[in-house]
Amino acid sequence: MTALDWGGRYLMCRPEFFGVLYEINPWMHAEVRVDPEGAVEQWEGLVATLREAGAGIELQEPVAGLPDLVFTANAGIVNGAQFVPSRFRNVERQAETVHDVAWFSAHGYRVDGLPLEVHHEGAGDALPFGDVLVSGYRFRSDAASHAHLSRLTGAAVRSIELVDERLYHLDLTFCPLDGRRAMVAPLGWDRYGLAVLGALVPEPLLLEDEEALAFCANSVVVGTTVVMPGCPPRVGRVLEGWGFDVVVCPVGEFLKAGGGCRCLTLALDVDLGPRSP
Amino acid sequence: MVREVVELDGHIIDSLILAKVLDLILAAGADYQVVDVEIGRTNVDSSRARLEITAPDDAVLSSLLEELQVHGANRLDAADASTVTTDRDGVFPPDFYATTNLATAVRINGEWRDVENPEMDCALVVLDDGRVRTVPLHRVRAGSPVVVGRDGIRVHAPSRPRGRSPFEFMASEVSSEKPKGTLIAEVAGRIRTAKDTGGRVLAVCGPAVIHTGAGPDVARLVRGGWVDVLFAGNGFATHDLESAVLGTSLGVSLEGGPPVEGGHANHLRVINEIRRHGSIAAAVDAGYVAAGVMYECVRGRVPFVLGGSVRDDGPLPDVVSDVVEAADAMRAALPGVTVALMLASTLHAIATGNLMPAWVETYCVDINQAVVTKLADRGSHQALGLVTDVGLFLRGLADQLCP
Repeated sequence: MTALDWGGRYLMCRPEFFGVLYEINPWMHAEVRVDPEGAVEQWEGLVATLREAGAGIELQEPVAGLPDLVFTANAGIVNGAQFVPSRFRNVERQAETVHDVAWFSAHGYRVDGLPLEVHHEGAGDALPFGDVLVSGYRFRSDAASHAHLSRLTGAAVRSIELVDERLYHLDLTFCPLDGRRAMVAPLGWDRYGLAVLGALVPEPLLLEDEEALAFCANSVVVGTTVVMPGCPPRVGRVLEGWGFDVVVCPVGEFLKAGGGCRCLTLALDVDLGPRSP
Repeated sequence: MVREVVELDGHIIDSLILAKVLDLILAAGADYQVVDVEIGRTNVDSSRARLEITAPDDAVLSSLLEELQVHGANRLDAADASTVTTDRDGVFPPDFYATTNLATAVRINGEWRDVENPEMDCALVVLDDGRVRTVPLHRVRAGSPVVVGRDGIRVHAPSRPRGRSPFEFMASEVSSEKPKGTLIAEVAGRIRTAKDTGGRVLAVCGPAVIHTGAGPDVARLVRGGWVDVLFAGNGFATHDLESAVLGTSLGVSLEGGPPVEGGHANHLRVINEIRRHGSIAAAVDAGYVAAGVMYECVRGRVPFVLGGSVRDDGPLPDVVSDVVEAADAMRAALPGVTVALMLASTLHAIATGNLMPAWVETYCVDINQAVVTKLADRGSHQALGLVTDVGLFLRGLADQLCP
């Protein structure tokens, strides 16, 4: 097993101002209350779990009025010392970008922007696998953004159309595990995407629909540890058979907003390939 | 045949995006020719393809282009729309752009302007202040700048959401096989939502509404404030008034039983009396009509348009017997309508469908599947059909909305 060469360092944001204040995906219901203490407790649990697995955690300041800033995966795309900030589809999240850019500038990253007319929601819709960047489109990111992303980062992109609105970001349908393996939710991909997957991932773990809707793919992989929001027995058996340690980290408060473990983290040690600037 | 060139770039080969786009073009009934392709030399290089699409008509092309945009294929041209000034009343320039009922934008001086009142089979006229409106043939005046050709026009096909959507309950467009109770509850829910968000509800009624005994249910809906505008013909209004005044519909008692003696003339006698009063409203004010759908419309100040036809008896004094004028009166009553119920009406349903933008949620209720199909064939693709007895449907709907 060739472990992933990324996933050892993450950016996270304390859920001080987290809540379900608007509805921009099918999981969000503004009438559902988030338990603020429960959210902080679960988030701290996730931080502790990731640290225990060997990951370094960096923190971004929470901002009042931006409840989804906790979902740092959507800040943008990290490529070595380059940061490409997201262009959010929903106006509710667009105000996050200035804070994301400020953090990355302050930490020495070069910031390169996508053109104004395209949307792309960062690592939520783009995960590296092997020597390519797999990127989703339709609900939040535009297919047209992928060519720009490739020009900016030098990455070879595989564009995947997402077809089930409940799995609105790529990171709810796809989770790279190591050099040969990844969890994939066929529920969320069309047949062209699945054909691309067949050529790309030698050993996929295909999630059943209920497993996908339980956010199994929204997991964080640190070396051989897979930190999951929940783990159905079948998935656990396969992962353990492959030599992974599964750690379940309850993030139920965040699932109310349609986000799991992966959404709460942004990998900072990603290098997108041969032509990275 | 209409043509358009689109361009795609990125990792379109390895992502199978080019393959998908080509498949989508063929699946839409269009065809393509590859104008040029540059294939990246390495895995990392991106590729670029230019395709010329040929489609049988504007509607197919527009909805296809809209769909392809999702996959990153964009039209190459972005010119302003051209206009030609009409030289006589009631006649468009020869190459006028014929409209669809879909949301449409027109590029003028580099800016995209939304067409204010989409309607099919009209032309687009640019007003002095830069607004763009659809104008039917008979209403165009000499000196109006009319949009010609295809440049600078964008048509937005209605989105076809996949997965869960409010319309999932009617995944097939015409349904005679689904549990009616659920469908009626869904339609009631859509009407409530429309009213909550400031929309208006239009009911288009055919005479069968009265024959099936559903008149009182429609009257309940009007009284309950669930109908904001009503379209019908002389027949519907006449039978509604006949049943309110004499208790019969075309001479047959609605309470059941054999045809009433001399009943065949009942509707003529009622028309005659309404003509004596001068209008339906006057007959209501005088107490001659004291129940029914038309009565509730008059009492609740719900506007109605009664469009005439060549086979009308009478007609009632409120019937607009000049069909062009009738269509204009219907047009004038449509702004703000977001839900339309086509109730056992063929003529008026199709006429209304012709006038409405595609974004109006349209439910066509008819025992005859052909009516629903006909409505869609005439271009009202947004119509969702419920093949069922209109009486059962209206009873259920009134029970849901006016418990």
